[in-house]
Amino acid sequence: MFDRFRAPWSDRRAERVLGALASLVLVIIALMVIFVAIKAWPTLRHNSVVGWFGFGDEVDVQIANQVNGTSGTGGDAFKLNAGPLIYATILTTALAVVIGLAFALFSAIFIVEFAPPRLRRIIVPVVRLLAAVPSVIYGLIGILVLAPFVNDHVISDSRKRSVEYVVQLSGTSLLVATVILTVMITPIMIAIVTDALYSVPKGWKEGAVALGVNRWRAMWTVSIRAARPAIIAAAVLATARALGEGIMLSMVSGGRGFSPNPLDGITVLFEPLRPLAATIVENVESLNAPAVRSSVYAFALLLLFSSLMLSLGGYLAKQPMKKYGIRV
Amino acid sequence: MRTHDDEMPKVKLPSLQDVMDADPAGSRVPDPVHGALPPPVRRIVLDQPPTVATPAAPQTRAAGAGAAPTPGHGGVRHAGEPGPERMRLDALSVFYDDKAAVKSVDLSIRQGEVLALIGPSGCGKTTLLRTLNRLTELTASARREGRIALDDTDIDELEVTTLRRRVAMVFQQPNPFPMSIFDNVAYALREQSMKRPGKAVIAPHVHDALQRAGLWDEVKDDLDRPALRLSGGQQQRLCIARAIATRPEVLLMDEPCSALDPKSTEVIESLILELRKDLAIVIVTHNLQQAYRVGDHVAFMYLGDLVEYGAAEQVFGAPRAQRTRDYVGGAFG
Repeated sequence: MFDRFRAPWSDRRAERVLGALASLVLVIIALMVIFVAIKAWPTLRHNSVVGWFGFGDEVDVQIANQVNGTSGTGGDAFKLNAGPLIYATILTTALAVVIGLAFALFSAIFIVEFAPPRLRRIIVPVVRLLAAVPSVIYGLIGILVLAPFVNDHVISDSRKRSVEYVVQLSGTSLLVATVILTVMITPIMIAIVTDALYSVPKGWKEGAVALGVNRWRAMWTVSIRAARPAIIAAAVLATARALGEGIMLSMVSGGRGFSPNPLDGITVLFEPLRPLAATIVENVESLNAPAVRSSVYAFALLLLFSSLMLSLGGYLAKQPMKKYGIRV
Repeated sequence: MRTHDDEMPKVKLPSLQDVMDADPAGSRVPDPVHGALPPPVRRIVLDQPPTVATPAAPQTRAAGAGAAPTPGHGGVRHAGEPGPERMRLDALSVFYDDKAAVKSVDLSIRQGEVLALIGPSGCGKTTLLRTLNRLTELTASARREGRIALDDTDIDELEVTTLRRRVAMVFQQPNPFPMSIFDNVAYALREQSMKRPGKAVIAPHVHDALQRAGLWDEVKDDLDRPALRLSGGQQQRLCIARAIATRPEVLLMDEPCSALDPKSTEVIESLILELRKDLAIVIVTHNLQQAYRVGDHVAFMYLGDLVEYGAAEQVFGAPRAQRTRDYVGGAFG
């Protein structure tokens, strides 16, 4: 019965089969978005958009009420102000991507342009390996090593006392979450940017150097310029990973629906928080309650929508670069 | 504090009229000795009356030259007064790992003339050329021995960026950056200033460079066009404009026409003859006719040795070394 697959395929048949597969993927994604949106609808309907995205009563208390069915009846059962969770997601993701991108750019320039060949031969495979490390391992290191260290040696007792009437500082914090998240997403960015810089035509680099520009400037003005589409792609991919990271962040972020307050100065770094994905992970046990289920679907919808916007944003950002012949 | 006025290359821009009026051949006299040689190649030239005053305008050359190895400058060789020496190579050797690519070469490169490096593939021409602006240093395995002087200063004593600003280079493959035409020419001008000069400051220099590279009339209407949309020949002239925009003293050309069609090659060759008035030009070429057309002096290299160096007529017409004779003869015979 497999004979018809073994025989050489005509292009026409290959086109139809591949087209069907690609369409299937699109259909599945569309169905998933629609399904999640329908499931998320109750919580979005009962809290106004401003209310749902905004800040209000403590979000952890609201979720606990949803779990226990103690938040009231009717629309009140769904009461949720997810602001702190959204804020936490934006904060950790943005910090990690910005720091990671800067780090990735400089590392990639070093690897491509300045590293001695012997070091390069070691560093490139190591970076690729790091990019493939499961995030839960980073989470484990964060919760077993970094968080206790921060708790014992970085946060002073007086600092703990200064905010104890609002929040308890225990090591798992914005700082640890950001550091671990940065470590997690940087290798993939280094790998992508390095590949992009390698593929910049040698003639451009040589041309710039021959004009009396040093290698650093040539890299910056010609190679990085030409590699901008890849840099954007790397940032988009890393942002998507950071947005969707649940397990690791639930381990190291402190697991409290708290909004770290920048007005606290340095202390803000040590305050706990909990991004959306981590919130989903932490509520898998209580999905029997319909209100919680709807809330969690709403978080998922928001994450889905963000990655969609992210891809679109990346695509739009690349368009102007096409004009001068940079390959996208 | 360095202001950008200090940084901007102090150049007196020639007016358009100067460029038009300049007569490349007027100041040159035919070499009585070499001009009398009757080498087989020269016969084509000798059939024509020797012209001294005829300006070597690109149009006439384009019409009259055809495919024959006619000297581009109407048979008028630059041999009367050699220009001042700009670069001098003493016992220059270049090694890749332990393999010698260039073996103890002595050469001098003079202002106002074109030195053509010829020889079979792998003979070290390009390596020699890339040593002159220390571009070989980008290759980790390359090592150099001997002295190269630019205006009597050892190039090792110069800041490498300074050297490369004074000794510019055009590559085999046209390599305009993925930017607009304007930004390509402005690139070096901007990079050489501490403070990024504004477009208004740079525009006249860009105009001048494009004018001298013979590209201005073709691109003046849309300088914002992507450089990579130009034709191959235009791209190469853009690269020449980019290289000469900062007024270097020496221009190195590594087979600048090998990726171009004959028509573009012709345009670039006349450009070379035009440019040599205020530059010393070293050109590497596989094309012997081209070496003859544009070269004032020709250096023949073989397996890393400089076999023969002399005026173009002499090297092509009466080569001294047997190896040169074989190579040149093979080309024209």
